[in-house]
Amino acid sequence: MSNSKLLMTFPVSATSHTLVEYRERGGYATLEKVLRQMTPTQVSAEITASGIQGRGGAAFPMGRKWGVVHLNDGQPHYLCANADEGEPGTFKDRWILENAPHLLVESMVIAAYALQVRNAFVYIRGEFDLPYRRLAAAVDEAYQAGYLGARILGTDVSCDLVIYRGAGSYVCGEASALLTSIEGRKPYPRNRPPRLTVRGLYQRPTVVNNVETLANIVGIVANGAQAFRAVGTAKNPGTRLISISGHISRPGVYEIEVGYPWSKFIHEDCGGVSGGRQLKAVIPGGISTKVLTAAEIEPLHLDNQEVEAAGSSLGSGGMIVIAEGTCMVRLLQVMLRFYHHESCGQCTPCREGMGWLHRIIDRVVAGDGRPEDIERLYQISAWNDGTTICGMGDAAGYATSGVLNKFRDEFEYFIDNKRSRLHGNLECLASS
Amino acid sequence: MKHLVAEFDAIRARFPSGFDSSLVVPFLRRIQEDRGYVADSDIDALVDYLRVPRIQIEEVLSYYTQFRRKPIGRWHVQACRNVSCSLLGADRIVDHLTQKLRIRPGETTGDGRFTLSTVECLASCGTAPVVMINETCHECVTPQKLDALLETLT
Amino acid sequence: MPRIFINGQPIDAEPQHTVMEAARANGIVIPYFCWHPQLSIAGSCRICAIQIEDRSWVEIACNMPVSEGLRVLTDSDQVKTYRKSIMQLMTLNHPVDCGICDKAGECTLQDYHYLYNGAPSLSRDVKVRSTKFHPLSERIVLDNERCILCSRCVRFTREISKSNALGIIQRGDASLVRAAEDRPLDADPYSDNVIDICPVGALLSRSFLYQSRVWYLQPTPSICPGCARGCTVNIWHRKAEWKLNALDPAKNVRIERVTPLENPSVNGPWICNKGRDLKQILERPRAEHAMQKGGVVDLATAIRSARRLIDHAAHPVALVSNWGSNEELAAFSQALGARFTTFVKHDWAAQPGEPIEDDLLIRADKNPNTLAARALFPTVDDGGTLDGATDLVLVWGEGFDFERVPRGAAIIFLNAYVQPENGHADVFIPVSIQTERRGHYTNFQGTVGAFEPCFPKKPSIADAEALFASLAISEVEPA
Repeated sequence: MSNSKLLMTFPVSATSHTLVEYRERGGYATLEKVLRQMTPTQVSAEITASGIQGRGGAAFPMGRKWGVVHLNDGQPHYLCANADEGEPGTFKDRWILENAPHLLVESMVIAAYALQVRNAFVYIRGEFDLPYRRLAAAVDEAYQAGYLGARILGTDVSCDLVIYRGAGSYVCGEASALLTSIEGRKPYPRNRPPRLTVRGLYQRPTVVNNVETLANIVGIVANGAQAFRAVGTAKNPGTRLISISGHISRPGVYEIEVGYPWSKFIHEDCGGVSGGRQLKAVIPGGISTKVLTAAEIEPLHLDNQEVEAAGSSLGSGGMIVIAEGTCMVRLLQVMLRFYHHESCGQCTPCREGMGWLHRIIDRVVAGDGRPEDIERLYQISAWNDGTTICGMGDAAGYATSGVLNKFRDEFEYFIDNKRSRLHGNLECLASS
Repeated sequence: MKHLVAEFDAIRARFPSGFDSSLVVPFLRRIQEDRGYVADSDIDALVDYLRVPRIQIEEVLSYYTQFRRKPIGRWHVQACRNVSCSLLGADRIVDHLTQKLRIRPGETTGDGRFTLSTVECLASCGTAPVVMINETCHECVTPQKLDALLETLT
Repeated sequence: MPRIFINGQPIDAEPQHTVMEAARANGIVIPYFCWHPQLSIAGSCRICAIQIEDRSWVEIACNMPVSEGLRVLTDSDQVKTYRKSIMQLMTLNHPVDCGICDKAGECTLQDYHYLYNGAPSLSRDVKVRSTKFHPLSERIVLDNERCILCSRCVRFTREISKSNALGIIQRGDASLVRAAEDRPLDADPYSDNVIDICPVGALLSRSFLYQSRVWYLQPTPSICPGCARGCTVNIWHRKAEWKLNALDPAKNVRIERVTPLENPSVNGPWICNKGRDLKQILERPRAEHAMQKGGVVDLATAIRSARRLIDHAAHPVALVSNWGSNEELAAFSQALGARFTTFVKHDWAAQPGEPIEDDLLIRADKNPNTLAARALFPTVDDGGTLDGATDLVLVWGEGFDFERVPRGAAIIFLNAYVQPENGHADVFIPVSIQTERRGHYTNFQGTVGAFEPCFPKKPSIADAEALFASLAISEVEPA
């Protein structure tokens, strides 16, 4: 099976992120072509024809999202790149920010042109230091070279890009909370309707796209939608950047063509489970996706259609590999501690539910679990499924029910025996 | 905050007009970089400069994990405890730091040198376990590497 | 007008309405905590969740726009089950202070618990503790454990009173309603409205704290006399069947609290804090006995003396009260208007520190019935020197500087409250206040509002309306 690359197409070095080297690779030629030869509608049509799905976790087609924005409605529109990358297990947008920041900038200027956006933003999580500095340097270089600012490349197209740094909140990865954060207010997610593409930043039409999704724009416009569609699958064209971590020999960011065999990816490309251990389970796409067992992933391909049919999702591409011997009860405890910490507190099911889930799992791990705790964990998860303001409630529910579905026996053992059946620590070290 | 006003004016100029409220977060970050934390007087000065309700700033300061209203140690040692880092030994790292620094997460050493915190995912899972000290992310940490690093932080 | 179907019933909805609004307009009850007709949509409590027919999930009604052909169910099994789960989550960390909480008996959480759940908590874990008795302002005390974080109070200060005094700090189940640290809630003249709109016993009035169980009280409609807006209010007092004669009879005839009486054309559902503090105005020490030059006489004697003064006066001047009701003012005009040169007196001016006027409710004129008074008596008392020929001054109500009375002129003084000047008048007659009778005021917009009596009047106190007719009777023997 081929494995075409669309993004990781150059060797990374200490200088490969600079404007000089980006231009040597053909950078900003596409922007030139767009501004001189294409209309905004033609650009959007190419994006829609490509069928590219969002790579932030929700997999919403980018062309369809853009299509909601009414051009020529006489009000400001905004474009925002979501570089919050808070989903645990995910670190692939970081690769783009550190190594291909100009790819993002050029893509954003093209997108801004298509959407008639004068002011674009990159919302980057506050904890990112090197990714921020690389991106900031790239933006400065782009301004100096005339790829950003007034009258880009001598045309009458202008676009300003502001990098907005967050300050520590997972919920800011949710698009409406992200925009509220940019408004300088406490980042509570918003109910829909209205959609952000109708009322977003300061109640103006705003498109929020993931960094990786945006970074594909240069390639799609340069080579055409059909070339993009030739890679990947019919329903999910292109490639995905997968961040793989956990008990894996060669963790890191890999670009795979959608449809690549999962087992091959784990056992060959990534060197297999570390320490020569057996594979127990894999969290496919960030902890908010349901865990799958080794047996389940065996026949699957890295294609969201297949993963969804198997009851999970490729989500944000944050893959976490779990070796045999890992206590899934303790693992769930780490996840629930995270969700509890990150709940914004706005809506009842998540605010109260996350705390409740966390207290239950803490009690189980402390050896004070009760038989009804398993049903209660399921119940709280169900109460958060599809009924909260944002997807975080659902996410915690998926993490919980996913682990319970596949490893219920470990929970029953822990409750009955007041200790884990497996290693006492998540590293699965032989000691303790 | 007064000495930062020229800088603030420059940052404000980069935003579209009508975005004054947006300046709350970047200005608080800058104030904290400068002072080490955000003081009550900084909040007053920011309210005057931006003309936003004081409660908005108070909410923002209390909500985000990176903002603080009290000083901490010179070196903020932040150990990730999320899933991948836990799978690669984060608990062991936190225990080591607790013993080495003789403080628990949330506390500061008596000499004001180190504050220890546990934090959530820093998007560096491939190089777990990860410890962030001030702005810098230290990857693939081991107790030995940490000990050597802490020595250099005066 | 989009036609929607609620539980199969066809409803013609307003195009800009949400399903919540359309339901309410048609008498269909959908429960809510965070929704409020005058505030922006928060959509956070989730209890208004309903089910669109043929969908297997629930969605909130307060943020669901109506659309042609929309079919929703507000009481399906799924909706009922979901409501129970929201109640379960809302009460998860609730302290259940009902036994010591002022809100008991008028608490939405209690009401919904019985209506929609009634089941004990499924949790066996310790409840999250939080601050109790937090001094949110001088007037309001906050219990964060009872708070359900509906954000109504925050939205009120942001959107209605615009003081931006309140917010929610921190996050998750550690979230706390707090006032901004420079204490703007103390300066917000509408602050106490958050007590009304708080669905639970989190925000409580300090002045009402522990004073009475609400089911011992009844509300009587009245008009706040604090300014010319004339907000309609409910004056709460002890129900007759719950009299406390043994403990303290004074408790049976006192104002326990004042709350807004919703009135779309005057004050909506709000009043300002001055209205809350009406007992400070209406329960000042009362004049209870007629006097002549400070010596107590019975009412009949005083009336006869007053009649004689009126009979013999050559140049009588009257200063009528703009706190008089429409009925009282009309009675004065009819009985004595021809006899007296009459001026309208402004009984009250703004006190130091009192807000003068704003674009919400507060009016600069701190009197309830100036419009009606001026309609009957065009001349306003300008506080200047009275005509030197004046030989009788009839002062009705407060706010008159008796230094202005020309030397030698007699004084008839009608007043409700104890004042040193009561004892200097030639004839002093105590009169009733609005809580002791029925009547009407006309507000600055010309809207007439009614007040009802809630307390009995002492027999030694006169009703001004009847008094004026009585005073007009001459004591001069017919020739």
